[in-house]
Amino acid sequence: MTAPLDFPAESDPSTYHSPSTANLADILERILDKGIVIAGDIKIDLLDIELLTIRLRLFISSVETAKKAGIDWWETDPALSSRAAENALARENKELRAQLAELEAHDERPSGRARSKDTA
Amino acid sequence: MSATDRGPAAYAPAAGAAATCVFAVRRSGDPGALAGRTGHAGGGPLRLLPLAGSLWAVVQSVPAAEFTQEALRQRLADPLVLENCARSHHAVITAAAEDGPVVPLPLATLFTDERRAVDVLDQQRSHLVGVLDRLTGRAEWAVKVHIGRPAEARAPARSAPRAVGDRTGADAATGTGAGTGAGADADAGAAYLTRVRGRERDRRAWQDATLHVAQQVHDTAAALAVAAVRRTPHGPRITGPERHQVLNAAFLVDDARAEELATAVRALHGAFPGLDVHIDVSGPWVPYSFTEGRRP
Repeated sequence: MTAPLDFPAESDPSTYHSPSTANLADILERILDKGIVIAGDIKIDLLDIELLTIRLRLFISSVETAKKAGIDWWETDPALSSRAAENALARENKELRAQLAELEAHDERPSGRARSKDTA
Repeated sequence: MSATDRGPAAYAPAAGAAATCVFAVRRSGDPGALAGRTGHAGGGPLRLLPLAGSLWAVVQSVPAAEFTQEALRQRLADPLVLENCARSHHAVITAAAEDGPVVPLPLATLFTDERRAVDVLDQQRSHLVGVLDRLTGRAEWAVKVHIGRPAEARAPARSAPRAVGDRTGADAATGTGAGTGAGADADAGAAYLTRVRGRERDRRAWQDATLHVAQQVHDTAAALAVAAVRRTPHGPRITGPERHQVLNAAFLVDDARAEELATAVRALHGAFPGLDVHIDVSGPWVPYSFTEGRRP
């Protein structure tokens, strides 16, 4: 096992980072990239994709935390994923959705009041 | 383009219908590392679809109802589903690349059936062959540079002295504050402005230094690479507030030079005294960032 890419100095550049250890942000920015686009029959709106990426970025740190805690549901077939992890992540998901809504509201009213809590 | 009426708007799959999800195109028709692997949850086994010109597409049949535009929009809005899809997609492409070069396609490249997938991919054949030629014997390496952020560089000065009423530090620094301070406060105000300017100067100097580090690391790697791409650096939500990502780059590198690049870039760790620089090299990645097919 190599260290997650989030933690430099521990990652050995001569080793291959398997999908399970790659930082989600690194994967996403590659697989959503517009490198070669073969026009499929079903399209996802680019704006949606950007929103997805924002959502995911809100989500990444918690995933890395979960991984360090030994929750590795994505390293197995999703059909076999751990229910406990899903519950924890669903809770986290709910909190992040609230944060996202708050951020979006904040963006719509740039002159509005300061955010009520620190989301860092 | 093919003269088909089955555009995205017309796509309303029958119950139980399957759509074809394409992950990648490659030259090898031997399943190799793909054997026995699954792609997206709920889909069928991975298969290799023969294309014109001895190319093969790595495909999977997926439940069409879950992969319409509307269904995808809803499902991918769930971070858990999105992460599963992203990691599944990446895992398939990574496995497909174990037996030779692949052209990775973006997440959720979908066709109503295999025939459509073959037709569309065959039209792109010369482009795909060009990209495969360019990627053969090469891999993508990612280089990220983080710099520890000194406290004073984290935000511009914000605290206003009591003497100047409601003028903010930012106003003072940019000269937009109206001169409301009366004579008694003039000295305090001048001292304050000098302090603000000094802090601003330090912050700019730190920013210039970080840009210099990023450029130096980028140029060192680019000198050993066939091509380079600079991505938007990740923000503090990913890196944490103490670390500032100043470079998020990808390089297409000949396999024979990969070790050299990694060594050269990591050797820069100690090259910037006084700055808390972390250089992170990862790879080999499937060359996602270099699929445009332009010859170097």
